[in-house]
Parts: sequence; C-alpha cells; structure tokens
Amino acid sequence: MKRQIPILLAIGASLYPVIAFFVPTRGVTRFNQTLDEWMVIIASFALLLGIVSMIQVNLAKVHRRSSGWLYGLIVLVTFAIMATFGLFGRQGARPEGGLYPFTWVFQFAFSPLQSTMFSVLAFYVASASYRAFRVRNVEATLLLIGALIIMIGRIPLGQSIHPIVPQIAEWIMKVPNTAAQRGVIIGAALGAAAMSIRVMVGIERPYLGKS
Amino acid sequence: MNLQLPGFGEWVAAFFTLCIFSFLYRDNVLYRVAESIFAGISFGYYVGLAKLNTLDPNLFRPLFGDFAAHWTLLIPFTLGLMLYLRYIPKLAWISNWSLAVYIGYYIGVNLLQKLHGDILPQARGTMVSLSGDWGSVIGSGIVFVGVVVVLIYFFFSSPHRGPLKPASRLGIYYLMISFGASFGYTVMGRISLLIGRLTFLVHEWARPLVMAVLGG
Amino acid sequence: MNWANRLLLVDRRIIFLMVFVGALIPIIRPIGLAVQISPPVEAVFDYVEGLRPGDTILLSFDYGPADGPELDPMANSILRHCYRKGIKVIGMSLFPLGGVEMGIARLNELSTELNAQGGTDWANLGYKDGGQAAMKAMGEDIAAVFPTDVNGVAYGAIPMTRGIRSYRDMKLAVSLATSVLGEWWINLVNAQFGIPVAVGTTAVSAPRYYAYMEAKQAIGILGGMKGASEYEELVERAYPDLKGLSRTATMGMDVQSIVHIIIIFFILFGNAMFLLTRRTREA
Repeated sequence: MKRQIPILLAIGASLYPVIAFFVPTRGVTRFNQTLDEWMVIIASFALLLGIVSMIQVNLAKVHRRSSGWLYGLIVLVTFAIMATFGLFGRQGARPEGGLYPFTWVFQFAFSPLQSTMFSVLAFYVASASYRAFRVRNVEATLLLIGALIIMIGRIPLGQSIHPIVPQIAEWIMKVPNTAAQRGVIIGAALGAAAMSIRVMVGIERPYLGKS
Repeated sequence: MNLQLPGFGEWVAAFFTLCIFSFLYRDNVLYRVAESIFAGISFGYYVGLAKLNTLDPNLFRPLFGDFAAHWTLLIPFTLGLMLYLRYIPKLAWISNWSLAVYIGYYIGVNLLQKLHGDILPQARGTMVSLSGDWGSVIGSGIVFVGVVVVLIYFFFSSPHRGPLKPASRLGIYYLMISFGASFGYTVMGRISLLIGRLTFLVHEWARPLVMAVLGG
Repeated sequence: MNWANRLLLVDRRIIFLMVFVGALIPIIRPIGLAVQISPPVEAVFDYVEGLRPGDTILLSFDYGPADGPELDPMANSILRHCYRKGIKVIGMSLFPLGGVEMGIARLNELSTELNAQGGTDWANLGYKDGGQAAMKAMGEDIAAVFPTDVNGVAYGAIPMTRGIRSYRDMKLAVSLATSVLGEWWINLVNAQFGIPVAVGTTAVSAPRYYAYMEAKQAIGILGGMKGASEYEELVERAYPDLKGLSRTATMGMDVQSIVHIIIIFFILFGNAMFLLTRRTREA
C-alpha cells in the first residue's frame, strides 16, 4: 500500500496531461483544466516546504550555540518579521502613498542585497579572465576567438572599428552558436523525455525517497 | 534646485550594498550579517508571496467564501497539507502520495514540452532549406552539420572510433565557438549587474548626499 | 621572467579596483556612444509596431531584482511602445523571487510617465505559483488562474480584460525572463497554443534563444543590456516625442564598452604573460 499507491498515483498524474493532449474531448479537457488549476495550489504548498527545514536547522543551531549561531538567529528573526508582513499585510503601493511594509522591505533590503551579491560576479569574471583563461590548445583558442569577437562585436566600439565586426558577431550567433545550442537542446530534451518515460512507467520513483 | 538628502530607504539600500561589496576586500562580520538578513528575508518573502498571490485568491477565498460551488478545492488543499507530513516520521509515508501526484503531473507536462516543444521544432528548423539565396543555403548547411556532429559528440553509448572520431572532434569545435559566445555574453551580463548597483550608489545615494551637504 | 610571474600573481583586489574605476567613470561622465540595431531586436519591434490600437499583449515579468539592470529597460521600452500605440498590456509574473514586485514597479512607473490608465490601458494580474501548470491553464481560462488582479479586483471587473479569455484573444506574449521560464513560454505556450512569443532575456541566457528564434519558435529576442538599448533606440527613432525619457540601457552600454575593453586587455595580457613564463620554463 505504502509503495503501490504512490506509484499508481504518479503514473496516473503523469499520463493524464499526455492523454489530454492527444484526446481533446470536452470531458477530458475539462478535467485537465481542473488538474492544472489544482497544481497551481499544490505548487504553492510545495514552494514553502523548504522553509520548515530552514527553521529546523537554524533553531537547532541556535539551541546548541554552535559556531555562527548568531547568524542563524538573524535568519530566524528576519524571516519572522518578513513572514508577518506577508501573512497579515498587503503588497504593493498604498492608495494614500508609500509602500506596504512587505513591499518596502523587498525594495529597500532584499532587492539591493540580491542585486549586489550578483554584481560581485563582474569582478570575479575579470579576475578569472586574467588568471585562468589560457589558450593551451585548439579548443581553448576557438573559445577565445568566439569570446573576443562577441565581446567586441556587441559594443559600440565594434561598429567603430569596422561595420563588418557586428555582422560577424551576429553570424556567429546565428550559425555555429545556433547549431551547437540546438544540439544541446535536442540532446537534453531526449534525455529528459527518456527520464520522464521511466517515471511514467514506474521504473524511476523519485517521490518515494529513501523508503 | 531641490536639495534633498537620500530617503531612509535609499540609506538602507546603500548600507546593504556597501556591506556586500566589502566582501571584495575580505570576508567580514558586516557581510555575514547582511548575508543572513538576505536569507531570512528571502524565506519570509516566499511565505507572503504564496499567501497573497496564490493561496488567498485561488484557494481560501473561493473555498471559504462559497463552499458549495468550490468544495472540490478541498482536494488540492488536502494534497498540499499532506506534503508537510514528511516532517512527522510516523506519518511521512503519507506525504509520498501527494509528492507522487505533484512530481507525476510535472513529469507528464515536461514530456510533452520536450517532445512537442523542443525536439520536433528544433529538428524541423535544422532541415536545410534549398530555397533562398546561396548565403542562407550555405548557412543552413553549416547549421545542419553542426547539429549532427554535436549530437554525435554527446552520444556516449559507444566509443568515438572510426568516422565518429573526426565527427565528434568537429562537434567539440562547434561547442567551443558557442561557449566562447556564451562567455562573451556572460561577461556582458555580469557587468550589467554591476552597472545597476553603481548607478544606484552614484545617482540615488552619493550624488544627492554630496549635493545636499555641499549645498549644490 | 620573474616580473612576468609576479604580474600573473598580482593581488586580485587590484584587478577589482581597475574594473570598479572603469565602470564608475562612464556612470559619472556618460560618453554617449551610438547604438546599432540587430535583426532579432528589430523583429520584435516590427511585430509590435504592426499591431493595431486596441490589440492586447501579455507581458510576463519573469525576473527578479538581480536581473533588473538588463530587463527593466526592456520593460520600460516595450511599455512606452505599447502605450504610445494604444496597445493594451496585461502584466503578470511566474517568477517567485521578485517577479510581482518588478511588475508592480514597472507598470506603476510607466503609467505615471505616459499617463496610461490602470484597468483601461494596462492591468497587473500579479504572480501565480505553478509555472507550467499556470501557463497551461491560461490557455483555456485566464480568470481561473488569476481570479483577481494584484490589488484584489476581480478579473471580470477589469474593463480591458472583457473579451480576453485566453491566449487566443491576445496578439503576442512577451516574457522578460531569467532562467528557464522564457523557454517554457516558447516550448509550451507557443508550441501548444500557437500565440506568437518574444523573449527578453538576460545576456547569460541569450545565446540559447537563438536556436529557438532560428526555428521560428520565437519572433525575436532582446538579449541583455545590448538588446534593451537597441529597443530604446528603435522606440525613440519611431516616436521622437518620447525623446528625453530615461534610457538606462543605452547609458549602460557606455560602461559595457569600457569594461569589455578592460577585460579583453586582461585576457590578452594574461595569455601573453603565460606564454612568456612558459617559454622561460621550456628554455
């Protein structure tokens, strides 16, 4: 029971959208639509699953006073504040002006924090370009040539050097890049499709976990 | 001229920005605190987001507002709550039922996406069109060859010997040119993020502050 | 070559400082370099330009604040283009970490800028969980997925959504996307429902979308800050009365130019030093 029912549920839930695609009768389509709407709700619950783990881990850290426990406490306190704003408040702009606290914290705390964390990558790209980007073989040389043409061709300087530079950059994107990306897309899609079929026939059971 | 100090929000944003940038010099307490605040706010944001945008309008309001018309919403509600039983060891097996429906559904949708939305249109797009000028025919031919040799490179079920070896080599060359192009675009992407932060620091915090302090 | 070795091992904070200064100077003192237009961006512009007043498009804000510098300017230009032509915009988001806030900010700011009316010229349906599930469900009934807009107004009570039941009633879906969401608009929504799709994407993801565009699955792509600056230029050329409005992507391309040169120098110089030290070791 504990294994058979989830397997049957997974097979049913995975087959139904596929059947509905090929058998678009009214009844089948209507339940397919209902299933889509239900999944939107279930996805919302699934999105919050990781939060329980996060609370457990950080509470344990604070309780044991292990290394860095103060940071764990900061995580829990800021989580509680933001969750309170979200659960008991609203989002967006107030009608009378200003922002609701949920959106204010997002705009002036979360947004600059996330943006700056990602912006730091610009410095590391420059550092890696200097220290690690080495033309040791044919492949690396091709990579370098491709990178240089795109980097020059995509800035106004490329046009200033010669009008053909941006055209060469565009040709690289449209022809060899498209060919390679298409090969990757098709290859990855075939792999994903094969994996999907394995789950649909019950060979792979990722939903059973370790049990 | 309107000389206004940056607002409280701008000060908070500038403070957090400089805390994260301080990591470039070296790891420090301010960076760690900012990182922890970021993590806490992210998780709290998910809670508010789910409640305000999905659970309220799609579940709670219809279910509790007009139960007779929307009683079937009890099904996704129950399945959603069942997911959390994984944290109670004795009842964790029940969460597998809900997880099976959730994962199964997306597996089915994904299969259609990959076959119908990726493989078939991409294969169709790879066919060489012999109508059109010589430039586009040659370009189509180069793309066709490229797709085939890249797929040969990714075929690891048999060793790359005989005719597969040069084909696979050519596939690597196509991939390297594409990765070079991706690197060039990645550099542009990362710099864009830096531009965003520096533009904020200069135009929305530092410039108003300096102008207000110096009196224009 | 001791000095070559020392140069190779220079403290990376010096490299950081050079990048920082190189980026800061054009922000303080813009250069004003010209923007040249590429075919993928022109294709999107021409398609929107070919729509008629009263047509409705879907604009999905599938990105967060980290991608704002690249995708906010795209949103601004597309909204200016639509409002100027009288094309109605339905905004929404499927990206959990900030998409709804980006949508709220762009739609509110641009409606104030060009006096566009919420409910009549644009609507913001907000965010919905579920990703592909939401996309599929919208193919039959948008109101079932978004029963209210972001402010709690019922979908049917929004004047401009009357007659807009699903994708079939709209002319174009534009996804401003980071990560895989843009691909889902193409390989799910366009493939299964036929609505034309255009994608504005971060530069990191742009190379991949060329394969979709060349296979005619997307009408065009706006790639990164460069794509955003091109669309800004096209809108200003077509509608000179919009001159003077902010062109953040175009200004950003000045910085891109300088920092690209710095990084190209680093790559070439680093390899030159590497070759010199290798020759010394072999000798």
